[in-house]
Amino acid sequence: MKRLMRREFLSETGQAVAAAAVAVAALSTEDTRPALAKSRVVVVRHPALADAAGPDPRAVRGALDQAALALSGESDLDGAWARWFKPQDRVAMKVNCLGLATHPAVVAGLAQSLGAAEIAPERTIVWDRSDHELVRAGYTLRKRGSGMRCYGTDGLGGSGPGGYDTELATSGAIGSLYSRIITERCDALVSVPVLKDHNLAGLTCALKNFFGAIHNPNKYHDNGCTPFVADVCAHEHIRNRLRLAVCDATQPQYNGGPPRRQRWQWPYGGLILSTDVVALDRVALEILERKRAVVGLRPLAAEQRPVRYLESAAARNLGKADLADIEIISIGTDWLDVG
Amino acid sequence: MSTAPVTGRRAFLKTLGCGACAMCADCLLARAAWARQVQGRNQVAVHDAMWFETIEDNAVRCTLCPRECVVADVERGYCGVRENQGGEYKTLVYGTLCSVNVDPIEKKPLFHYLPATTALSVATPGCNMECKFCQNWEISQFRPEQVTSYLVPPRDVVQLAVSHNSPTIAYTYSEPVVFYEYAHDTAALGRRQGVGSVLISNGYILEEPLRQLCQHLTAVKVDLKAFTETFYADHCAASLAPVLDTLDVLADIGIHTEVVVLLIPTLNDSAAEIREMARWLVEHMGPDVPVHFSRFHPIYRMKNLPPTPVAVLERARRIALDSGLNYVYLGNVPFHEGESTYCPRCGKMVIQRVGYRTDVVGLEDGACASCGCNIPGVWTQEQALAVRRG
Repeated sequence: MKRLMRREFLSETGQAVAAAAVAVAALSTEDTRPALAKSRVVVVRHPALADAAGPDPRAVRGALDQAALALSGESDLDGAWARWFKPQDRVAMKVNCLGLATHPAVVAGLAQSLGAAEIAPERTIVWDRSDHELVRAGYTLRKRGSGMRCYGTDGLGGSGPGGYDTELATSGAIGSLYSRIITERCDALVSVPVLKDHNLAGLTCALKNFFGAIHNPNKYHDNGCTPFVADVCAHEHIRNRLRLAVCDATQPQYNGGPPRRQRWQWPYGGLILSTDVVALDRVALEILERKRAVVGLRPLAAEQRPVRYLESAAARNLGKADLADIEIISIGTDWLDVG
Repeated sequence: MSTAPVTGRRAFLKTLGCGACAMCADCLLARAAWARQVQGRNQVAVHDAMWFETIEDNAVRCTLCPRECVVADVERGYCGVRENQGGEYKTLVYGTLCSVNVDPIEKKPLFHYLPATTALSVATPGCNMECKFCQNWEISQFRPEQVTSYLVPPRDVVQLAVSHNSPTIAYTYSEPVVFYEYAHDTAALGRRQGVGSVLISNGYILEEPLRQLCQHLTAVKVDLKAFTETFYADHCAASLAPVLDTLDVLADIGIHTEVVVLLIPTLNDSAAEIREMARWLVEHMGPDVPVHFSRFHPIYRMKNLPPTPVAVLERARRIALDSGLNYVYLGNVPFHEGESTYCPRCGKMVIQRVGYRTDVVGLEDGACASCGCNIPGVWTQEQALAVRRG
């Protein structure tokens, strides 16, 4: 594990670029293990991200760019974002709007950052299962015209039941139809979940976020969602498109999820980025468990909801589930300082 | 097993207009006007669920089916049609028909229940299993907002049955357990107006709600999908034991029950399994429970297996008869002698079936016209409605 301690968070992009570049350079001199052996996860934190009224958009943008530099190892923003996205890509950002939702400011910052990869706003989509849920979470629907698109699978119209593909897809024990936003309108996927507790799965974050991409998530919740979370994400529809995960950990929830329960949220003020969604979820789980311990709650396993789907996902080669295999870069407040 | 349901507005209207009672077409089309189309999350029909208990943190435990889903606020149960809304469990399919047909009662299949009559057959989306061989997966495996439906309250369902001269309403196609409240209220109302109700179900329901529903029902058909836990786990995402419990409860209640077994090549068609199943049915349901061995056709997620050979179905029938069952039928095998009913004492045919054409040829007052042997079943509407069971 490596930490980049910052006395002061740099919200201006230019400053962030320079600072992160130096930090990554410093990291590379310390890393004695093969770079490819580990998956990299970046946790970036700042008080401006922890505002109860919502994160400051400028702080989000700055944090994202700084994290992108650290994650990519590139020395400039253009190179960082271009590492994952091409200008001709249609980029679909899957948010989670069920209960505690991904904050729109996080998505807005991400959309701005994608501009560094020269992706036109019209080629980006913010989406979830339904128009209704997006609106309820504070998003503004935009199905045409200029600017970034925002709509639910059910807002697609046209052929297919409720906006889903007509071809049954299976990568495990259950068959599903995937959203046509994935199968027809996207080249690159970004999982943009919110970090929260889940009453059955233990944790819902970057992997389980894709339960919102299939027509029948209700069939996938037995056995703590194991191995079903891995099944959904292992299908080529997602596996071949998933480029990045950006987790909203600005006001995560350590208990009582997935519905929003303010009494169990806390101002962590973080964003978590990785190209390895399993590794990101493993780090998110560690944060959740640490917070639960601090406030005197039992570990998830003791509450009969251990997060076992991470091992299933690792077994399907979706990423690394062992902390020993994960390189964690902490920017700002230390990632394990959960208050 | 039932055939594919009617879905979509055009088909819906066509069904209403061109059902079994053609002379009523005009009035039925007029009635179609009240069938308001609904689709989308904002238009699902929210209604209080009858079977749940609230637990901590606004979560609920569903007590309708053996899954007993624990559902957090804003989430849904396994069936996909029941949602926790702030600690209150709601059904989202009350009165939302996605399929309606006027079918021969033999199509359910119910062979010992008002033969040669029709059943107004209705369904909403949703199911509490996920069978890889589901014929109606395009409604059973979807959420209500993903399927075009029509708001048809219970009183209009009953009226529709009456206007079609259907003595029976069948809750079928998908899984009626998941639209329990709608079926319950419709069946209760129907009974008061002289219309019977039959449940065409997988039998995946807990005892208390089953007993309460049976107070309003006049017959039940249960799909016994196999006789091994392995099959239920591997191919239905479910368990056998609760289905057997349901059959025991139905036998205890005394409601007319028929059992259907879809035989799938190599998966549930061994002689040993058929024999064990037949013996269990004789012991728990009695030798007179009608049992239908139905022919599998490749569909949904089970397209890698061929249709069941007729010889396999015939073997199963022989084994079941030899095991002591008196009324064993073949399904999805038109023109086969195994479609008809024979007196177990003298062997004479009492009801002849050729496809969906049914002729009562040797049954008088519920007995064999030839030898007087009692043939168990529900043969008149008065008999169907006479007893409230539960």
